[in-house]
Amino acid sequence: MLETFNFRVIFEYMPFFLKCFTATLWLSGVGLVGALAVGTLACAMRISGSKLLSTAAGVYIESIRSTPLLVQIYFFYFGLPSLGIMVTEEITGVVALSLNSGAYIAEILRAGVQSIPFGQIEASLSSGLSYFQRMRYIVFPQALGVTIPPMLGQAIVLVKDSALLSLIAVTELTRAGQIMNSERFMPAEGFFTSAVFYLVIYFMLKSLAGWSEKRLIFRESR
Amino acid sequence: MIRFKNVHKWFGKIHVLNDIQLEVGAGEVLVVCGPSGSGKSTLIRCINRLEPIQKGELIVDGMEVHDHKTNMRKLRAEIGFVFQQFNLYPHMTALENVTLAPMKVRKISKKEAISAGMEVMEKVGLGDKIDAYPAQLSGGQQQRVAIARGLCMRPRIMLFDEPTSALDPEMINEVLEVMKALAREGMTMVVVTHEMGFAKEVAHRVAIMDVGQVIEIAPPHEFFSNPKSERTRLFLSKILSH
Amino acid sequence: MWKNYLTRLVQSLPFFITGLWMTIAVSAISLAAGTLIGFFLGILRTRPNRLFRYLIGAWVDVIRGTPFLVQIFIVFFILPEFGIHLDAFPAAILALTNLGACFICEIVAAGIRSVPWGQKEAASSSGLTEWQQLRYVVMPQAMRTILPPLVGQYVLLIKDSSVVSVIGVTDVTRVGWLTVQRIPHGLMVFGLVGLLYFIICYPLIRLSNLLEKKMAKGTR
Repeated sequence: MLETFNFRVIFEYMPFFLKCFTATLWLSGVGLVGALAVGTLACAMRISGSKLLSTAAGVYIESIRSTPLLVQIYFFYFGLPSLGIMVTEEITGVVALSLNSGAYIAEILRAGVQSIPFGQIEASLSSGLSYFQRMRYIVFPQALGVTIPPMLGQAIVLVKDSALLSLIAVTELTRAGQIMNSERFMPAEGFFTSAVFYLVIYFMLKSLAGWSEKRLIFRESR
Repeated sequence: MIRFKNVHKWFGKIHVLNDIQLEVGAGEVLVVCGPSGSGKSTLIRCINRLEPIQKGELIVDGMEVHDHKTNMRKLRAEIGFVFQQFNLYPHMTALENVTLAPMKVRKISKKEAISAGMEVMEKVGLGDKIDAYPAQLSGGQQQRVAIARGLCMRPRIMLFDEPTSALDPEMINEVLEVMKALAREGMTMVVVTHEMGFAKEVAHRVAIMDVGQVIEIAPPHEFFSNPKSERTRLFLSKILSH
Repeated sequence: MWKNYLTRLVQSLPFFITGLWMTIAVSAISLAAGTLIGFFLGILRTRPNRLFRYLIGAWVDVIRGTPFLVQIFIVFFILPEFGIHLDAFPAAILALTNLGACFICEIVAAGIRSVPWGQKEAASSSGLTEWQQLRYVVMPQAMRTILPPLVGQYVLLIKDSSVVSVIGVTDVTRVGWLTVQRIPHGLMVFGLVGLLYFIICYPLIRLSNLLEKKMAKGTR
């Protein structure tokens, strides 16, 4: 098959692939930012003392974790119009991605915050710091160190999740492969090229995760 | 029984065993001591090839350990090894720990293994603990089970790598008593330890190692009262003065 | 209007249940096959043989670095070019098993590595074969570290199985997709689909958490 692998076609479509590659990065990036916002809010609600807020956040998180992303995407794609809300597929997609990853990020943050030894909290209480000061100077900086690697893991997941957006007609990397399949009947060239682009993102994020883990280990050992 | 001939070993750049010449005869009890990093643990771990040697010859019970083609499994069945960290299998009872190897390696029946296991557990003084899990036993008891586990294979050689170093002081004696009894019965033993009282009582020879070499080796009465090397004297003064 | 939709939806319930069975079937078969292959490869991964480690490692990276959707497309559209023509159902099983085996391989390898090295030394010092060491000493202890994430992985696979709906497998997601063409109320239809997944996945997630707590208690 390799002899018939048409590199010329890939070259021809390369501008298109690059455009889709950028689209994937964009969608994932905005999705990640959205997820961080949602996740931080949900985490704050979860660890707050309020039973109401905690349960609300809990329901959100468990629903997301127990249902597939594709179903969530379809839920918004087909559901928002029935509420009368008409938005582009991109926005629908990013909303679904943000809400989905947001739940996982909320859990990552919660684990990070809970990993801080209680003695730290006690020490900061004894010196009279307020709740916000405790969070800002003691809790968050330490939680950050523990959470960066799993966050990067979630970023990798998010990039892969963005592929599902191709199913609601968003132009991104997987859709590029689909188009090469339907327009030129060349699924191999199309999907393998998409796969290569995804692997590029994957290995970049993976080495970033490795690098950050090394740097953070220095901070841990005092 | 055990013969080291021109043995060298490196861990990367570190020359951890430097031209070792050593012979241990059948029925002999050899105690090896020395400062940490001297290579004494590595030496004993080479005997059953937990660590391979890079240069020289190592012959144990007639088999050439340095030769890659040698079937170490057969040889290891004849050598009992007691670790500093006990390394008992946490998911098995004491009796199961002791009988696993005899059943699987020597292929004896379960009934035979159990009776042999109970016999050897009695010998180390733990006949009533055969159904206990390691987590339920004290450190000293765990180490005695580890010794029983080695003994149940009816080995020709017993190796001990700092058997009491991980124990609280009050439990050291119970383990040493078991080891002394073994020595008196004529077992060939190589023991890496700091317990000089043990050495004085039952060792046939005591060796001291430093920076990968055997500095001095002599029967206990000579070793302790008339050490020939300055480093030996220094080491002895440090460990005997508490 | 939506009351009309609701009645029609309730009438379509049997259709959804059939879809649910398909989801369970696809997931169960892939889980079983993936677990077997994953355990086998996970054990191979931890052996000293460099070739195996690199090969398996490369395969793991490719599977973990590309979206499952792309993998399904590759199985369904590209294998025919090699002469392998698969129907939707077998193709789905193949892709999902491949995915599962990959992740389970990593979980198993991590579990094996978590067993203290001294245990292996003690076992090999008494003359046990590699296989005996694995079977009686290493694996029983590794299972403690393997079980919770393994169950978690099963949940992920059930959720990932929803993606096979795009190549025409009539699982519960596809039933939803087909239904919403006739009953254009996305919230209700996919709310139902989500509920059905929830019923299967949530208990498994709780089980995984429970296992994690139990395993953590057991260690000294």
